[in-house]
Amino acid sequence: MSDLSQLMKTPGAGLEADDDFERINALYMEKGWGDGLPIVPPTAVRVEKMLAYCDRPLDVPLGLVAPRYGEATPLRVASNAVMAGCKPEYFPLVMLALDALVDERFNLYGVNATTHPCTTLIIVNGPVAKELRMNAGHNAFGPGNQANATIGRAVRLAMLNIGGAVPAAGDMATYGTPAKYTFCAAENEAASPWEPLQVELGYARDVSTVSVFGAESMHNMNDHESITGAGLLKMMAGVVAATGANNLYFDGAPAFVFGPEHAATIAKDGYSKADVKKYLFEHGRVPLGALSDENIERRIRQWPVFNGDFAESGLDRLVPVMKSQDNAYVFVIGGAGKHSAYVPTFGATHPVTLPLKTHDGKLAKSVEEFRRK
Amino acid sequence: MCELRKRGLVTAVIYSGPFEKLGRNQARTFGVPELPLVEITHPLGGLALQDVRQRADEAAPQFAELVRKYAS
Repeated sequence: MSDLSQLMKTPGAGLEADDDFERINALYMEKGWGDGLPIVPPTAVRVEKMLAYCDRPLDVPLGLVAPRYGEATPLRVASNAVMAGCKPEYFPLVMLALDALVDERFNLYGVNATTHPCTTLIIVNGPVAKELRMNAGHNAFGPGNQANATIGRAVRLAMLNIGGAVPAAGDMATYGTPAKYTFCAAENEAASPWEPLQVELGYARDVSTVSVFGAESMHNMNDHESITGAGLLKMMAGVVAATGANNLYFDGAPAFVFGPEHAATIAKDGYSKADVKKYLFEHGRVPLGALSDENIERRIRQWPVFNGDFAESGLDRLVPVMKSQDNAYVFVIGGAGKHSAYVPTFGATHPVTLPLKTHDGKLAKSVEEFRRK
Repeated sequence: MCELRKRGLVTAVIYSGPFEKLGRNQARTFGVPELPLVEITHPLGGLALQDVRQRADEAAPQFAELVRKYAS
């Protein structure tokens, strides 16, 4: 284990300043080291407390964060977690989310640098979500829960400060999204009629995971009238079958956040998760004629994703938004109410799910296993 | 592009105005801060074919000048 006090002597590792909230925030704002909201000053004492829940060497990067490809060492990530307002016990999930984001499959450079308004959606599964009292119920994506809010914010701050995803310099989003501040929740596994996400992906139910998506903001799917699974899925397929979302043009998977009540209705009628995906794949399609002539020619007929399949097609032919029936992610989040959400993605990105493991490679049942010895 | 430049090939990144800073940052990130950037009029997306040709006409002489510069 590297010694923090030694690391702090490295040139550029820190700066001398009074631990004065207003002055440090003024300095950080002036330097552009943040997201525009006030930060918790990352003093050496606070960073050290954060690193109490890190069992990795403090100066060994977990990876390079695009677009600047800055080295995400635990020390640097911990500074950003402090700034975000994380409790130290959240730190293993912040690190795991970044582990997932730097995975090549995710295409973090594309997600951060694009003009598209995508951000990093973080979904937590398994017992650690309960241990950290994450919100998986009412308003899970809204304000009010420290873990949801600050884990997502810490990851964003790391992308800004380590990765250089700075507006108009590394993040070229035309107008961005408020979901870039934080976009993190836990799956409501207890309210799901289906296997939770990590189980669907091959992990045991007692394994905790973090899944990341290069996601747009959520689009709500309101249906208070349908009382059958078929009725709800028909409504949802209609939402998917929209022009303008990147998923139509690329093969990256969209995500579906089912409210527990919609999920229960659909499952009651015998639909498994696989059935839901199959339905949305088969019915979430856009008639070629719904697109402009230029889009048809450039984005469909000549576009590599379609391999020339639509080169000669008539305007009534349907274009699938998902490129295969497995190309969707389904999970249950929320409280009471007849709402679910469609989460389109950047498209040129693939979700990544990683299990929570200690540095020696063992599956961790609790964040307490990350405490430094 | 930076890798090719490091190997001695004449390379340049073509950008439209708002992307200059991103281009310069990326060149610095990949260790070639002096990587030539060729500017064309923004935008490049959503153009009719004749406008794309116009952008190519803007870029071509700049690139030819680069080749001449590195050849001499």
